[in-house]
Formats: sequence, structure tokens, C-alpha cells
Amino acid sequence: MWIIYTLNGLYFAALLFLISLGLNIILGVMGILNLAHGSLYAIGAFIAAWIIITLGTQVPPFFLYVSLLSGLVGVGIVGFLMEKSLIRFMYKRTLEYQLLLTFGALMLLEDVIKMIWGGQAYYASAPFELLGKVDIFGNVYPAYFLFVMFIALIAGLLIWLFMSKTKLGIMLRAISLDREMATGLGLDITGLSTFAFVLGAGLAGLAGALVVPTTPALLGFGHEPLIFGFIVVVVGGLGSLKGALVGSLLVGFTRSFGIAVFPEIELPLLFLIAGIILVVKPEGLFGR
Amino acid sequence: MKKEVSRRKFLKYMGATALTAGSLGATSKALGQAKPIPKDPIKIAAVSFLTGAAAAPFGIPGDNTYKMCADKINAEGGILGRKIDLQSKDEAGGVDAQVKLCRKLILEDKVDVVLGYISSASCLAVLPLADELGGLIVAYDCGTHELMEGAKSPYDVPKFKLGFRSKAHLGIDNIALALYIKKNYPKINKIAGINQDYAWGRDSWLIFETAMKKLMPQVQMVKTLWPPLGNTDFTAHISALMGSEPDIVHSSLWGGDAVTFSKQALGMGFFKKIRMAYSRGEPYPQEVGKDYPEGQIICCAGTHYFLYTPKDKASADLQKWFVGEYQKRYGKYPSYPCYHAFQAIFAYKHSVEKAAKAVGGWPTIEEIAKAMTGITFPTPSGMLTIREDHNGIEDCLVGITKLTPKYPFPILDKMEIFPAAQVNAPIGMKTVDWINSWK
Repeated sequence: MWIIYTLNGLYFAALLFLISLGLNIILGVMGILNLAHGSLYAIGAFIAAWIIITLGTQVPPFFLYVSLLSGLVGVGIVGFLMEKSLIRFMYKRTLEYQLLLTFGALMLLEDVIKMIWGGQAYYASAPFELLGKVDIFGNVYPAYFLFVMFIALIAGLLIWLFMSKTKLGIMLRAISLDREMATGLGLDITGLSTFAFVLGAGLAGLAGALVVPTTPALLGFGHEPLIFGFIVVVVGGLGSLKGALVGSLLVGFTRSFGIAVFPEIELPLLFLIAGIILVVKPEGLFGR
Repeated sequence: MKKEVSRRKFLKYMGATALTAGSLGATSKALGQAKPIPKDPIKIAAVSFLTGAAAAPFGIPGDNTYKMCADKINAEGGILGRKIDLQSKDEAGGVDAQVKLCRKLILEDKVDVVLGYISSASCLAVLPLADELGGLIVAYDCGTHELMEGAKSPYDVPKFKLGFRSKAHLGIDNIALALYIKKNYPKINKIAGINQDYAWGRDSWLIFETAMKKLMPQVQMVKTLWPPLGNTDFTAHISALMGSEPDIVHSSLWGGDAVTFSKQALGMGFFKKIRMAYSRGEPYPQEVGKDYPEGQIICCAGTHYFLYTPKDKASADLQKWFVGEYQKRYGKYPSYPCYHAFQAIFAYKHSVEKAAKAVGGWPTIEEIAKAMTGITFPTPSGMLTIREDHNGIEDCLVGITKLTPKYPFPILDKMEIFPAAQVNAPIGMKTVDWINSWK
């Protein structure tokens, strides 16, 4: 059973990694604490569910898996619009304004979801069911969960390569390290900030799209991931890829093994860990 | 000779006159009280979750049913000739929002009755407003057994003069499950539980665990899990349950949580080894479809099942109409919240008619409440009684899922009905105390 507990922890960590990576990029590059990040995740789930349900069984299964990218693209577009219309006015404001604005955006996006998709649940489990099950040392495990872990791994590697090897990535890091100096060096802060927000939003959308084949998309879908995403950021540290990875793994494993061994205190334990880290190392395990 | 009226005779006549006048006065007073039946429509507020996680499984089916029933009543001439003006309201927004909404409905909108509430938290917050504001409130779907029970047994009834619940509480689901398990799986040794971490889940497990310990003391409770409401990843819970190797897992999971759990558990081979016992699992086989696992124990929160035929003809006829009409309108078979909505709106209709007969005109709220106390009337799932504690009592149906060629989802097989007296605590006794008093 322990191998399954480990896989469960890895699966949860994979989703958290995508969510917190987006949260981290937005926070690190732009200094914006985005409370609407969970809603972006939810929009990704609704877009993907809607496309999967519309495609149904008329298309080869391969297209169903490609359609999961709709979360990334669709929410990237939503992120672009959101940054251009709301977020850009907040860069020079203090944290309270950002929190108020992004909380307002959270409420707004919830209503947008309600207007577009209504109050009902969207079941889009075809990609989950089509991949079937695999046998892992005598234990049955859904192959789709392994697929999610694989996609998260690929996304993580791509982001790492992008941030460390490409010019655009290096510029983003420069802004996150010292915004004023980056401005002084003539970087296009406005354009780069928009790009960072689109990337962060897209990652949240991808996470939502990946999760929707395993659970119906519903209103209020983004609340839980937002809370866990913040725990990961607190544990792992702000603006750190390594922090997002380690934080996600720590939260994923604590939850998986916690539920198996001490179910009554699994959730309080997570908050306790986050609390201790805040007290002992306020910048997080890998924060700057 | 002038006939003298004696003093005695005078007093006699006076007395007789006074009596006649008095009785005439009384009659005219009674006639005056018999208010004419107003011409305007009856304002009924129906409060259900129209958005959020509870909308799809409960709120929308419940609201659909209110509309369907109001149409039926109006088509048949209304209640004492008055048409129903149904106003659907959303239960979303939390307890404070519901208290505000209810105050507005009673004080400003002056609705005749508020039928509503799916969440136990809403019911606990809103029902006390009935007596405070002098408005009639009928809770229609919320489950907590605490709503009408006092702090300790015996307690005085009713808890609210103008507050009712037109259905049985969650006690019946969990007691019926325990009775079913004892009867059909007497050799099991281990039981586990997965219930949401709030009043609904905790209360459901409390009643089930208490009943199981009484009925099958040899059974060990090997694991109790409390996922949060709206959990989207049950893999850790599923593995933890499988790791503790129970024979049966009790669950009161509902809505998206119930469906997510089923699908993920199916993918992890959970049902090969373990049987689920769902206290309110009735809607989900239809929701999930043919992939819903067979052999799962499912309770119907009463006898609310589209394939159940009540014993009495009036109820059986209603069930036939109800299932057919709902399917025609909404393309699905009615689930248990639909039956609960029927019960609430018809509890009001029958109570008004009963009270009107007694008072000879349109009754006051107090008179309707008096008529609702102890009323029995036919519903699609059988005769329903609302007791003196203002709580409905119902028989309870439990069965096991089985796929047949006739339906695109598993239906219930090996159905058993547990009579109301076997699953409802007597008036004035707390459910847990009652179970503990079983011999």
C-alpha cells in the first residue's frame, strides 16, 4: 500500500506544483499576490470540461488529451485580458490594494463562470476512463494520474529551461530580483509583466484542465486549490521554482500519509507546518 | 288588570335574552372570524441552492419539483381557489445571507409560507425565525437530527410553534443502513467511514456508529476519514480505506464529492474488495451511469425511489404521475430532493385545506400550523405524517445496486423497507439516546 500512498502524494503534488508555479511566477516577477488564482484554475477546468463534453466520442481519444491544453490557452487569454484591464494599475500600489482588487476579481470571475456555465456540474471523465488502470506491484492505479504527473514534470522542466536558458526567462528573473534596476537597464517591464501574468494564469488553467477528468467542474471549484497553493508558496518560498517543487512535494506527501496514518489532524498539520516555517524562516524554505 | 311582571320572571327573561344575545353575538363573531378567501395568489417562497456545489444534485431538482407541483396545484384550481405565486430563491451565500433573506421574505415580501433549505446550517439558523417573526417556515430537505430535538431526553415539543420539517431527519438513513447490514451481512468484522468534515458528515457517522455498536457489537471500526466539503482528490482517502481492509465503508458523501469518490475509487480497484454503504446515495447511480459499481448498499433518505410503489392507492397514483411528469419535463427520474419538495408544498396545501374546514374560511398562520401538526397525507413515496414535534417521519428504503438491461445505470435490487417506527425515535426522545436504549 505504501507505494500507492507515495503515488497519491506525487499526484497531489503534481497538481499543486502547477498551481503554485503560476502563483509564484506572478508573485515573483510582478509582486502581485493573486487571490483570483483559484478562479483561473476553475476557468481552466470549465473550458476543458466543456470542450471534452462537446467533442464527446466523435473524435479519436488523442484529441481529448490535446484538448486539455485548452485550459492553458483559454486561461492564458483570460489572464491577458485581466492583466491589461485590472492588474496593470496595481503595480505601484501597496499590497492592500492588490488584495482588494484580486479578491474583487475572484468574485467577478466566479460570477462570470456562473453566467457562462450556470450552476450545474460538468462531468468530463472520458480522458480519465479511456486511459484505464495499471498494475503497480499488485495494486490497481489509474493511468490518468500517472499522465498528470508526467505533464507536470514536463511543464516544470520546460519552465526551468525557459527561466534559466532563454533571454526572455532571464529578463523575467531580472525583474523579479530587482525591478528598479531592470527598469533602469531598459527592460520592457510592461510587456514582460503581461507575459508573466499570462504564463502564471495559463499554468493554473492547465492544472484545472488536468484535474477535471477526475472530478466534476462546479462553482467554487477553485477555493481549495488556492488555499493549498498558498501553503506551498509559504512553505517553499516566494519566487522560487525549487521552492514550489519542494513545497508541493511536502504538502502532497504530508496529506497522503497523514490521511492514512493520522486522518484527524492531517489538515491542521499542514497549517502547523506552514505556521512553523513562517515563524522560523519567514521567507520560506527556498525563498529569497 | 295590568299584569305585573314579577322580579323573578324579569330576571328569567333577562337571562334568556342575554343568553340569546350572547349566542347570537358569538355566532356573528364566529362568522366575522371566518375570513373570506382572498382573491390574490398565495405567495410561496421556495429556497434551494440554485448555484454552488449543492445546486446540481439537490437544489435544481428540488426547485424543478416546486415548479412542477405548483403548476399541478394551479391547474387543479389552486388551494381553496387561490393560485400559487411561486418565488424561487437561492440558498447560496451562507447562513447570514439566509437569515436576512428569510426576514425579508416574511416581513417585507409578506409571503404566506417559506418552503426551503437543503443545508442543515441554514435550517438551524432560519427555523427559530418562524416564531420570532410570526411566519410559517417548512424545512424541506435539511438532514440534521438536532433541528427539532431538545438538549436532552425527554424534551418538550414542538421546539418551534410555526417551524416544521416535512421529512424525516438523517437518523432514518443511518439506522436503516445499520439494520440492513445486520440482516444481510451478519458475518462482517470491520467497518470504516468516510464522511465530510462538518455537521452533516459528523452527525451521519455518529448515528450510524451508535446503531452499529448496538446492533453488531463485534464489528470493529477500523478507520474514520473526514475529507473537507468539495474535496477534488480522494486518492489518499481511497488508499487509506483500502489499507485498513474494511468489509463495508459507511459514507454520507453527497453531490460532486460522491461522484468524484466513486469514479476515483473505481479507477483504484476499490470496489473489488470493499462495499460502500451510502446513507443518501440514491441520486448517484443515475448521475454516474453504467459505470457506477454494482453491489453497493444505497439508502434513499426515506422511500424516495422512482421504482418504489407505495402500498396505498392514493400514493401509488401520485408516484406514477410524479415519475412520469418529472421525466417528461426534465429528462431524468426524480431523485430524493424532488420527493422532499413535493412533501413540503403539499404539506402546506393539505394543512391549509384541513384548517379551512375547521375554521370555515381562510385560516391564519397559527391555524395552519395547528392543522399541520399531526397531519397525514399521501405522497409519491407513501403516506407521510408530520408529528407533534413538527418533524416528518418516514419509512426507509435500502437496496443494492445492480445493472439491468432496462436502465442505463444500476438500479436497486434486494430492496427492503424499514417501517417508520423502526427508524424514527419516539417523540421527545433524542435519537442517540433512543438507539442506546435498544435492548
